[in-house]
Amino acid sequence: MFTTVQTVTPKAGTAIELRAVSKHFYQRQPAKSLADWLSPKRRQIPALDDVSFSVARGEFLAYAGPNGAGKSTTIKLLSGMLTPTTGEVTVLGLSPLKERIPLMRRVGVLFGNRRELWSDHPVSASFRWKREVWGVPKAVFDEMESLVLELLDIRPFYQTLARELSLGQRMRAELGMMLLHRPELILLDEPTLGLDVLAKRQIIAFLKELNERDQTTILVTSHDMDDLEEMARRILLLSNGKVAFDGDFSALRGALKLGKKALVRFRNQSLREIPYDDIGALLQELSALEGVAEIEFAQNSLEEGLADLFSSWKAPS
Amino acid sequence: MGDKLSLRRVFGLLALYARMDLDWLLRDAKLSLLDAANGLIACLSSLSGVFLLAWRFGGVGGLSPWQILFMLGFTATVAGLCMVFFGSNNVAHISRRIGRGQLDHMLLQPLPLWLQLIAEGFLPFSGCPRLLVGLGLVLWSLRGLELSPGWFWWLSLAGYLACAVLCLVGLSYLWSALAFRWPVAFEEISSVVIDEICGPLSQYPLSILPPALLWPLVSILPAGLLAWFPSCILLGRPPLGLPELYPLFFTLGLWALAIFTFRKGLLYYVHYGSNRYTQGGHRN
Repeated sequence: MFTTVQTVTPKAGTAIELRAVSKHFYQRQPAKSLADWLSPKRRQIPALDDVSFSVARGEFLAYAGPNGAGKSTTIKLLSGMLTPTTGEVTVLGLSPLKERIPLMRRVGVLFGNRRELWSDHPVSASFRWKREVWGVPKAVFDEMESLVLELLDIRPFYQTLARELSLGQRMRAELGMMLLHRPELILLDEPTLGLDVLAKRQIIAFLKELNERDQTTILVTSHDMDDLEEMARRILLLSNGKVAFDGDFSALRGALKLGKKALVRFRNQSLREIPYDDIGALLQELSALEGVAEIEFAQNSLEEGLADLFSSWKAPS
Repeated sequence: MGDKLSLRRVFGLLALYARMDLDWLLRDAKLSLLDAANGLIACLSSLSGVFLLAWRFGGVGGLSPWQILFMLGFTATVAGLCMVFFGSNNVAHISRRIGRGQLDHMLLQPLPLWLQLIAEGFLPFSGCPRLLVGLGLVLWSLRGLELSPGWFWWLSLAGYLACAVLCLVGLSYLWSALAFRWPVAFEEISSVVIDEICGPLSQYPLSILPPALLWPLVSILPAGLLAWFPSCILLGRPPLGLPELYPLFFTLGLWALAIFTFRKGLLYYVHYGSNRYTQGGHRN
């Protein structure tokens, strides 16, 4: 297993706490006999397996892992949609299942693959709906409405029907609506899924500003490591339902032992990639080369390092 | 952002959904007119068959043509009330929401589930054509029957209509609870029970049936309680020797069972989820 770094957060300022949480699902196995067909066997799938971690208030946590690692299950546990099989989940000091209603007033949840906007109504109508259903005070609504319209550039399509929006516009509107009650904690499940570069930039910049300005606690899942690194300071990696790494991005880079390489371009336009650990040995090798036009030094990206790592975990996809 | 639930809060939410319904209807004049015409034509055509038969043969099942018209008006009013109060977003057809995994959206709202279900289905404008047809038929049939009922009769009519609507919705929630365990298989169970079995059956004067078939239709599959039974009582011909308050007792029992079953289903859903590993889990 991978290196695990324990992050200690002060109790008083804890936004999320998972204590020895496991969540198991059951998968029916194909029948191999009449007895199996009559009484099917089920295999236990540990979506989360004895997971413990906490997130301090004001923290921006990247929650990553390969497909099937348990990321979405965690978000569902945190928002009271599922109960853990064992263990305890506390969010903003409340139990998500037993105190769902007061918790939902303080938390914002966004699933990248789901819609909360009313398809046959303009975005503005969905915003008004949110205000009424959440009982958002007018002053808070007005402030948050102008903030999200401005920073997420929603104004140009504020009166457009939600079903007529592009994916990027829809995600910005979904994010804006989610924030209207000024949540203390935001849970985002793949908010940049399928977005183009511009829409991603807008959402990332906005989330960073929100975290820095209001100290809003944010937990975000994504498969895009560059996005996560740009947004979050801390990353928690899941593998097969277990915490495989918990620390900051520089520690992750160190732990992954990302290789360095020299890219050599020759005068005849051919290219050669030379991996190295020791710069002295590399220089010696380079000095022996002839016809060198250009040398570029690079480090393997986090994405490449994690791809190798996920592949070594052989996680279910 | 207080946690207090009050009647004001309930009416506030109903007003919100009413406004959204009106906004939707007024967005496009052509669409509004087509929607209203569609509602009227669909309702009248679904009722005309039984009425024309009754007219041609001078009555069916011991009921005169005007009495049949009253019963058809009653069933259309019940369907209209269902449409107005539980019509939007599959609130009456809750098995669709459960089967499609859309109940999660409701769990994210800071409101009790029951309040969301009461408020979200409110369609007072786009849902009313069938209701207007139903009330019109009831009034027309009363003229034909030369009845001029007193206030107690009107109160009884309102009570029987409320019982029939609640019976229909309770039936939907009772069957829909199956979708918590088998989402794909039972996603459409509510529309099958309501729209394909009970709804069409409620348009017939069931007194033509032998008792062996009639009793199940006022108990196991209570299509008879949606129009025929209450109409007979209101017209002074109580059937089957059952008490006049039978629809009320039945509806209360059905709701107790539906609430119990739905709560059990919801607990199952929250405990086990409806994930891709479940046999017959969410279709997405």
